[in-house]
Amino acid sequence: MAQPSYRIGIDIGGTFTDVVVARDDGLVETRKVPSTPDDYSRGIALALKALVAEFGTTPDRITGIVHATTVATNAILEHKGARTGLLTTEGFRDVLEMRRLRIPVLYDLQYDKPKPLAARHLRLEVSERLGPDGSVRIPLREADVVAAASQFRKARVEAVAISFLHAYANPEHELMAERILRAELGDDVYICRGSAILPEIREYERTSTVVVNAYIGPVVRNYAAALTARLASIGVDCPVEMMHSGGGIMRLGSAVKRAASLVESGPAAGVIACARLVSGGNVPSVISFDMGGTTAKAALIENGEPARTTEYEVGAGINLSSKLVKGGGYPIKMPFIDVSEIGAGGGSIVAIDRMNQVSVGPQSAGAYPGPVCYGLGGRQATLTDAFLTLGYINDVALAGGTFPLQADAGRAALHDQVARPLGLDITECARGVLTLAVTTMTRAVKAVSTYRGRDPRQATLVAFGGNGPVVATEVARALGIRRVVVPRAAGVFSALGLLRSDVEQEFVRPSRCRPDALDDAGFARLYADLAHDARTILAAEGYDLAPAEFRYAADLRYVGQAYELTVPARQLVLAELVELFHQEHERTYGHRSHKDQVHLVNARLTVRLPVVMPQQRFAAAAPHKRVDRRVCFAGTDHARPVAVISRGDLDATPRQGPFIVEEYDCTCVVGPGQAARLDEIGNIDITLEAA
Amino acid sequence: MSPAKIDLITLEVIRNALASTADEMALIVMRSAYSPVVRDIMDYSTALCDAQGRVIAQGLTLPIQLCSFPRIMGFVRERFGTSLNKGDVLIANDPYGSGGQHLPDVYILKPIFVDDRLAGFAATVAHHTDLGGIVPGSVAIYATEIQQEGLRLPLLKLYEEGKPVDPIFRIIEANTRSPVEVLGDIRAQIAACNVAEEGLSALVRRYGAETLDRYIDALHDHAEAIMRDVIRALPNGVYHATDYIDGLGENPEPLAIAVTLTVADDTIDIDFTGTAGQVEASINCPISLPESAAFCAIRCLSQQDIPNCEGYLRPITVRAPEGCLVNPRYPAACGARGVVGYRVFDAIMQAMAQVIPERAIGGSEGGPYLLAGGGTCEGRPFVLNEMVVGTWGARAGKDGIEGISNPAANLSNQPVEMVEADMPVEVLRYGFVPDSGGPGEFRGGLAFIREFRFLADARFTLRGDRRDHPPYGFAGGRGGAPSAHLLIRVDGGSQPLPTMPMESFDARRGDVFRLTGAGGGGYGAPLARECWRVAEDVREGKVSIDGALRDYGVVFQDDGATVDAAATARARGDRVGSGA
Repeated sequence: MAQPSYRIGIDIGGTFTDVVVARDDGLVETRKVPSTPDDYSRGIALALKALVAEFGTTPDRITGIVHATTVATNAILEHKGARTGLLTTEGFRDVLEMRRLRIPVLYDLQYDKPKPLAARHLRLEVSERLGPDGSVRIPLREADVVAAASQFRKARVEAVAISFLHAYANPEHELMAERILRAELGDDVYICRGSAILPEIREYERTSTVVVNAYIGPVVRNYAAALTARLASIGVDCPVEMMHSGGGIMRLGSAVKRAASLVESGPAAGVIACARLVSGGNVPSVISFDMGGTTAKAALIENGEPARTTEYEVGAGINLSSKLVKGGGYPIKMPFIDVSEIGAGGGSIVAIDRMNQVSVGPQSAGAYPGPVCYGLGGRQATLTDAFLTLGYINDVALAGGTFPLQADAGRAALHDQVARPLGLDITECARGVLTLAVTTMTRAVKAVSTYRGRDPRQATLVAFGGNGPVVATEVARALGIRRVVVPRAAGVFSALGLLRSDVEQEFVRPSRCRPDALDDAGFARLYADLAHDARTILAAEGYDLAPAEFRYAADLRYVGQAYELTVPARQLVLAELVELFHQEHERTYGHRSHKDQVHLVNARLTVRLPVVMPQQRFAAAAPHKRVDRRVCFAGTDHARPVAVISRGDLDATPRQGPFIVEEYDCTCVVGPGQAARLDEIGNIDITLEAA
Repeated sequence: MSPAKIDLITLEVIRNALASTADEMALIVMRSAYSPVVRDIMDYSTALCDAQGRVIAQGLTLPIQLCSFPRIMGFVRERFGTSLNKGDVLIANDPYGSGGQHLPDVYILKPIFVDDRLAGFAATVAHHTDLGGIVPGSVAIYATEIQQEGLRLPLLKLYEEGKPVDPIFRIIEANTRSPVEVLGDIRAQIAACNVAEEGLSALVRRYGAETLDRYIDALHDHAEAIMRDVIRALPNGVYHATDYIDGLGENPEPLAIAVTLTVADDTIDIDFTGTAGQVEASINCPISLPESAAFCAIRCLSQQDIPNCEGYLRPITVRAPEGCLVNPRYPAACGARGVVGYRVFDAIMQAMAQVIPERAIGGSEGGPYLLAGGGTCEGRPFVLNEMVVGTWGARAGKDGIEGISNPAANLSNQPVEMVEADMPVEVLRYGFVPDSGGPGEFRGGLAFIREFRFLADARFTLRGDRRDHPPYGFAGGRGGAPSAHLLIRVDGGSQPLPTMPMESFDARRGDVFRLTGAGGGGYGAPLARECWRVAEDVREGKVSIDGALRDYGVVFQDDGATVDAAATARARGDRVGSGA
């Protein structure tokens, strides 16, 4: 019998690297290993080597690696990206620094604007000009490009972004400039252009996207080279794929070219895992809820499809309503799974100000020094210290007994820093802190549901991440959600999602058509051209397109509006598409207009190559000792004894709460008035009573 | 727990829930609006009010508009008392007797009922593209009475119990040059009100009406307490400042904006006595806006996290003599009144900079510069509405910022590509002006320049300021560079235009209009600016080599990058010696 083969999902975080191994017969094992921040590829190689030894197999039996990484995001957060130049149209080098002017906070005269990723002296102008229809008004002066190249060389830039006005309508000038720069600067300098990365109208968003891409491109390129070399050194030569923020996977080479698409790859993987979890079942609406040490993240999944957006700012800190609070970070306009993220995690610091106003987050003690109860030097009370005070988490040790806690120190910090100054007893205080954190987290859920005209009460909440299942039922209760699901491997769920992701790439073409000038034939031609582009590109990357699904969509708006809504174009019939747009507009904004003309702004195509996975079974978890404890739930001010059980103690018959399911990688709290059962694939399925 | 107890954590929970609803309203307006002014420039605001009409939450929108809701809500109480019903929607824009600011700013308000009991109000205001009047955009500086400026809407019911009052829609449609945009934006405002209705109703159901009322009262009291605490920390005294508007037409007479702030224990009185009288032009500023600008300035100076509810206004009084520029009598025209509001903010900043310079800010670009125009192109009418902002003055310890909205506003810019795709206009340049930031130990932000070429004949109007009275510096910092309007004719020749021309201009196809904003004011003595900061500015092209020497006494070596320390010490020493 042939040796089994393995596909491996690797999600790198700041502290831990989560590894999920899927054997070709469906057996799944999970591991948490320490990250190696000096060179993440070293940690990956070590982990793979250990797994190969443990499974008694050989490196060539690893047939696929799918990977999510924070290297791209960290380069921006830590300002450690490449020395980046920008080549742009004469008169417009300040577009990048001018931004869209908006201030993300009110009444703050001490505000600091984010520094541009390409300094002003590295933003160089060339004589050229296109009209909005792509017509050449001023031809590109090639001597300007040559002169700019010489300045870039002198300044030792490592990456150059090219972004000309209206290049979305005609890439010719950018292509010429790219050829000249490539010839002048050689292959070591990373070069990318707006017309390739984002062929869409709005110069600031496009320029920002391509500059972010250039800024992190060399970092991703170096990382890819290091990873490839490391893997080769241990005999692994399978294809490596990377998760992109849109929820699909792509070859390492594409990731280098579209580096900016990696920034939210980890969170996207978690959402994909949720979508796959429910795609077989009859669950029309799911909200994923992922809570870790620093943030809580939510996303909406309808009929198995995560909601997507193209508006994202990286490095903006933690925003409560990120769509409005523009200007705090660096916009990337690419397909993103619409994940709203807010600064409430286990490490969120609980504080009160001079006027006794209480806050939970967004400042976080992170994983290090972490909450006071970790005993790693954290001094400020955190949300985890409140969990512990309420009995929500084990007060002796976490991670199946391997991570000892200093519970008294955590309680004392909460008491001294918060409860006493407010004149509350500690339990009342911990309850209040949890309620406040839950209110903040509900904003993340509302941002993807009510803010988009969706009623969260109809949805199922799927909770994962280290802390998601601890608070999930409280978040659900606050929003009127009746059903919560805690999947297997909830603590390493994003890594699992990597293995369940399909190869997926999106292609966009601006329609550039006057709304009244588009007919059915022109419409079909637009999509035929788009499909041709996509086939050419994917075939060049070595993919077999036979099983490919082509999904068409369109961005539309009423003539005069500035924001588009994206609707699926199933039949490629113009009239049907327009009607779908009217419906979606009414659903999202509460009104539609038949009098106004509808403008097709972009044609979109998503090509998906499904990854086939056998039915999964999970390897048995290592046993750990569980002890019942006293827990204080909402609506009471005293603790009561509560059973602590394992997932295996549940079965298909609902068990009445309260009780706590304690596992190696997370803790799930089931409160009074709630009941939980195990479904056929091992998920904990919790029902809340009507509010 | 006794029923009357206010639990501070629940208070915070309610505050968050209210704020998230106000933000959601703002998002809905942005996404579904039609006009570039609302959707791109984001000249609109959203708020939530309690049953008494007091603001309890503000969307992340324009400070200078947000603080105007209290006044119009007063008129709502007065006009409608208890005669409002579920499903009613109110509309108003009239500055005289209805709490409006100028005709383009249309307020849409909606009472929110839960179980037949008034629970609060949704409040929105948005700058509409055109409401008629003598010029496209409805802002003609040379208008002399409000009847010339467009359609006046006193407080009216736009919907009665859920049914649209069709005649009002038809009157609006008949009185605007841009009916699609205006009616679309009104729909967007109503959509936002409906979202607020759901949000507030959910809170009432969750907490019960009485409890929620009690917490809302506590929120007002809490905000008031914080503000009193802030004021108490200031020394008692009378602080005065006067700033100026350049004035009207070709040979402008400066118009004074005078403020006297009296700090007495935990209260501040703001008095505009000494301000210029109202004028025969449309920059008269109905009190709603100066009041709003004053509240906004004090709020900025407080540097405290204060709930965005009306309670914090209680310790602040605002007074203005009737018939002056900041409190005009009917029928004074007021289309271009915004500039006065920004100058009120500036004047208060300068008065308070005498006491708390560490919290103040140098003069900003002066508020938005307006370019409104229109004509026909290929048989279709077009209305161009540009509102350009961009610069902050310096702060103690921090340079000013270039490429940012005025601190009292939160406007955005129209993408050049959108302007060019929608209008027969080409933008030739959009960027910073070197050496325009007010010199100081901390430099004011750089001015912006935005240059337009008309691709069709057009008639346009302008409103600028800060040419004769550039943005102030403080604590030894110098003022920013002055603004400029220049019309460059296609057949040669160029013509500087006044900051506030009392006429409109005819541009021919190919003519270029160059708009240069003013630079931000500096903080602290320029000669005290650290050399590395000057070197960085020179490297970045924000200060020229000549400017470095002229403004900062910093000398560079021949490479144009390295500071010549010895020569710099001499240059700076000479100036200190000569008292320059």
